[in-house]
Amino acid sequence: MLAIQTTLAAPLHAERSVTSRAQLARFLRGICLDIGADHYILVQPSVERGPKSVRIISSNWVFDALEDFGSEGIANLIESGNTTGVGERPQALTPETSPFLSTRERAGLVEHGHVELYCQKLSACGTMAFVLFSSHISGQIQPTALTLAHMKCCYGLAQFFKSNDNFAANDPLSERERECLLWVSEGKTTDEVALILGVSANTINSYIANAIQKFGANNRAMAIATAIRSGII
Amino acid sequence: MLLEVSTLTEIPGFESEQAAAHQSPWLNKPASSLLATARNCQQLAVHLNADSFHVFFLVSHGETCRLIPATDTDAPGITQISKDLTSRGSESFALAIDEATQPLWWSSDDRIRPLTEEARHWAFEISPPSGAPHGVAFPVGLEHGRSGAIVFAGDAITVDENRLCEAHARCFSLFENVALHRAPDYAKLPSLSKRELECLRLTADGLTSDDIASALGLSVHTANQYLTNSTHKLNAVNRIHAVAKALRCGLIG
Repeated sequence: MLAIQTTLAAPLHAERSVTSRAQLARFLRGICLDIGADHYILVQPSVERGPKSVRIISSNWVFDALEDFGSEGIANLIESGNTTGVGERPQALTPETSPFLSTRERAGLVEHGHVELYCQKLSACGTMAFVLFSSHISGQIQPTALTLAHMKCCYGLAQFFKSNDNFAANDPLSERERECLLWVSEGKTTDEVALILGVSANTINSYIANAIQKFGANNRAMAIATAIRSGII
Repeated sequence: MLLEVSTLTEIPGFESEQAAAHQSPWLNKPASSLLATARNCQQLAVHLNADSFHVFFLVSHGETCRLIPATDTDAPGITQISKDLTSRGSESFALAIDEATQPLWWSSDDRIRPLTEEARHWAFEISPPSGAPHGVAFPVGLEHGRSGAIVFAGDAITVDENRLCEAHARCFSLFENVALHRAPDYAKLPSLSKRELECLRLTADGLTSDDIASALGLSVHTANQYLTNSTHKLNAVNRIHAVAKALRCGLIG
């Protein structure tokens, strides 16, 4: 009896248990309905695959649109700095006013009905992700509703990450490698880190070399910068 | 003599601020002062039916972490609740906030539920920390590792699903304002020259001194000098440390 009551009392588009990818997709479709968006795509910047690459977690874009726009286009959009953090005023993007996209990418967006886009930055369980909402007519997405939905996306994603470790772990480093990088970022030299962790300096150097290789970085400084930027340390 | 409501609105600044807050609840612009931000927090507390609000910074040292009071209902003073929540006995509370993305709630009375059933779905129940028998905590994490929480305490708090999201989103912008004014590490940023910042940024992108010199059209010695200067200014021990510090306090992106 109680269960029936809660279902009835719940708002129309509410999926509140987000543990599987099917539920995540349903949750995001519900949010699209709430804010007036036609399409969503949820991506994670991918450290392992190098710069300008993303990993798509969930999306209702048609395959052709994704192929035309490409994950590089999505990475360009994210890196252009036109993303909105939680609590910030949503910012609408249109293909015409996005000089950071190539002509082909812009044409691809318009052709597949992504006329107005909102790119929201999400942070859940220490991992960063981005969700892109789009509509085929401008003005259809409600910015006020989007601000609430933005927070809810963070909650949904946090629930999803808790039950799907492989997605949350956008961290290619081993615990030891992470520890080494953390100390190096605090200004410690190889010898000092060796002393702190109680292993030889050669071991420390090999941990750091591994981390540099995993990030595809040129040197230590770049590896540290990559690790800080992606929130690993 | 008490001022009447109509006279209150005639006081310069009062009406305009109220009107602005009414038009755009998502205040994005930095508040003029810490006290103005505290007033905005108080408005949110009233909105949630809470007795008090408490803003904390979260500082982690390796495995342990602790909360530092930033401001609260008694601004510019500090309430007893803020002191209790940051005391030695409240480490588990700090840990819970450190790990959380979603709101946390607690109540020491089964009959009192600060969140509605739908809202509870997005939040986690924790055991009541000492000092505040009933409350809700909104964990906030900004870029460059700046994190903390805004806690609302009181036995009459009522928050539904939409209000939970709204309040949490507002906490992000409020916390950012508080961090601008209060955070010790971020407030006193050393002033680096444009060239020094450029060299640091290129170092973070993996360029060597030689690369930087040719990219900026300088000699290698000049590039090195810029990097040495910025290392001193940031009070860092070496170049990598300087890059890490500059990234963490947002001097370079």
